[in-house]
Amino acid sequence: MLDRRATFWALYLPPLLWLGAFFVIPLALMAAFSTRAESGGDLLRLWTPSLKQYLDLFTSGAYWRLLRLSALMALAIATMATTLAYPIAYFLAFRAGRRAGFYLVLLLVPFWTSYLLRVMALKIMLGSNGVVNSFLTYTGLIGEPLTILLYNRYAVVITLIYVWIPFAALPILAALQRIDLSLFEAAADLGATPFRQFWRVTLPLSLPGVLAAFFMVFIPTVGEYVTPLLVGGSRGFMYGNIIQDFFTKAANWPLGSALSMIMLVSTLVMVAVALRLVDLRKLIE
Amino acid sequence: MKRQLFATLFIASLLLAACGGGTATEVPPDQLTGSLTVLDWAGYDAPDFWVDFQTTYPKVTVNFEIGASDADIYTKMKAGDQADIFHPYTGWLQFYVDEGLVEEIDTSKLTNWNKVPDDFKKIGQINGKQYFLPWDWGFTSILYRTDKIPEGVDSWAALMDPKYQGHISMWDDGPGAVTISSYIHGYDETNITSAQLALIKEEWTQQRDSNLFYWAGEPELVEGMANGDVWVAYAWQGAYATLLGQGVPVAYANPKEGRNSWVGVYGIRKGATNMDLALKFLDAKLATATGNNVVNLFYYGHSNQDVMNGITDETLKQAFSIGDPSILSKTNFTPNLTAEQRDDWTAMWAEVKAAP
Repeated sequence: MLDRRATFWALYLPPLLWLGAFFVIPLALMAAFSTRAESGGDLLRLWTPSLKQYLDLFTSGAYWRLLRLSALMALAIATMATTLAYPIAYFLAFRAGRRAGFYLVLLLVPFWTSYLLRVMALKIMLGSNGVVNSFLTYTGLIGEPLTILLYNRYAVVITLIYVWIPFAALPILAALQRIDLSLFEAAADLGATPFRQFWRVTLPLSLPGVLAAFFMVFIPTVGEYVTPLLVGGSRGFMYGNIIQDFFTKAANWPLGSALSMIMLVSTLVMVAVALRLVDLRKLIE
Repeated sequence: MKRQLFATLFIASLLLAACGGGTATEVPPDQLTGSLTVLDWAGYDAPDFWVDFQTTYPKVTVNFEIGASDADIYTKMKAGDQADIFHPYTGWLQFYVDEGLVEEIDTSKLTNWNKVPDDFKKIGQINGKQYFLPWDWGFTSILYRTDKIPEGVDSWAALMDPKYQGHISMWDDGPGAVTISSYIHGYDETNITSAQLALIKEEWTQQRDSNLFYWAGEPELVEGMANGDVWVAYAWQGAYATLLGQGVPVAYANPKEGRNSWVGVYGIRKGATNMDLALKFLDAKLATATGNNVVNLFYYGHSNQDVMNGITDETLKQAFSIGDPSILSKTNFTPNLTAEQRDDWTAMWAEVKAAP
């Protein structure tokens, strides 16, 4: 008995300590900082909790639109990335056969280069002297370089969809691989067309993976700030950029923490509502 | 036994004291060991900019941390960064003193201090004490592509001109935006009213439609200007020098409202343990070879006046407008921000970026 308990702690203590030190404590500190009225003074001194930062944010109301917009962008990006990742995962699970391992490695190759490098490469593609524009000008299809390709909100959406597709494919692939192949035989024996088979068997059984992929993209994208900084131009900012600004440009940690807490709570609410709407357990049954 | 040991130690310490300065100064510079950490801006970590220290004290390890902006460096120091030396710029000095983050500099330990003009020394003084060592200085002005804008640029208002729609790049900085608006409208930068701040916010929100991107680091701006996306930008001399070096047709404007100028200073962290090494580093920062590199590689000025008097290169003379006696009178030095101004102006800028 004691042995089992020892094994339990030996396995769970390291991750618990790790998460405690680098996730729970920082999160608690952030929540605490957001109740500070002033940014001056020692960081670790005691202060009287106040809701001043939240009140300021609620009265100015300058950032709500951006939070809504970021959530909508994340919704669009997560939907697109999941939709585009599905055929890839399907191919890997059912069509790639013995070469599935090789194709999976191909899918993961982009992660071997730095994220910054990949976004810089996209900039070279989409810039006004970039590959796309040079080609279109060369062929005479356009006279002036298209400026719509880079430095706006669309560029941010396009880049993020591209970046997330391989990530989104993995949980879908895992879900597809768990499907019992005899179910397809049964469906075929009962006269289901391939399309019907997919619609009634494959898709419902893979939905947990699809939802996992969706939220894996949606949640971090709401708070995204690097991509807008690189390809967003002056009108492509997201809510995460404002948070970053208050931490690094304004040296105003209390306000930045309050903004972060608002984002955290609203993301949790959105996810909770979404999970309520699509009841996972029902789907699996 | 014990008493004997004490006696020996006592005599030894007397002897050491008599030598004056103790053993530390006895070690020849090239044998001196230890390590220093410097929190600096990207680019200044290159050995060119601390070459005198490196050659004099080759065995001392110098580590660099990189700060992206004044605000970034300030936030890092405030959060307890253990760098011994840090590099803020005019405008951002008062907070370090107010928050007790900077040590007063003992200038009697600096052999090169007498080469620094008094006007520069004053810039490093807060509340009457020398907390900072002035080092690099330069202008902020408008950098533009001469092939795209052959008629030239003569006012800060060019950064807001819809004529250059989609080809303007402003620095991503609230206080910087307030400064420009103040020049254009003749506001007193040290005393911006809330009504003026509202107008400034409105002005920059409109500017955003013409602005291609806000640059955060100089390399980003240089790339944008070199590839022809950006025609006109808020810029420092470093970008001008780099682009000239790349053969890009650019010019650095003399706006009728005057250029902005700034001075970079070095400070020693309050409680830094190796004060002696830190002072040696600062002293070497003022030396000639280091200063010449600042002038020749970045086109920035240096606080050692021997370095500045030694400039013969015509391009450099032009960059500093050494031949134009009126340029310095038309220059506006960045005043020190108060904590309240910093909070208000950075919030204004965040709202500009978040505006519909």
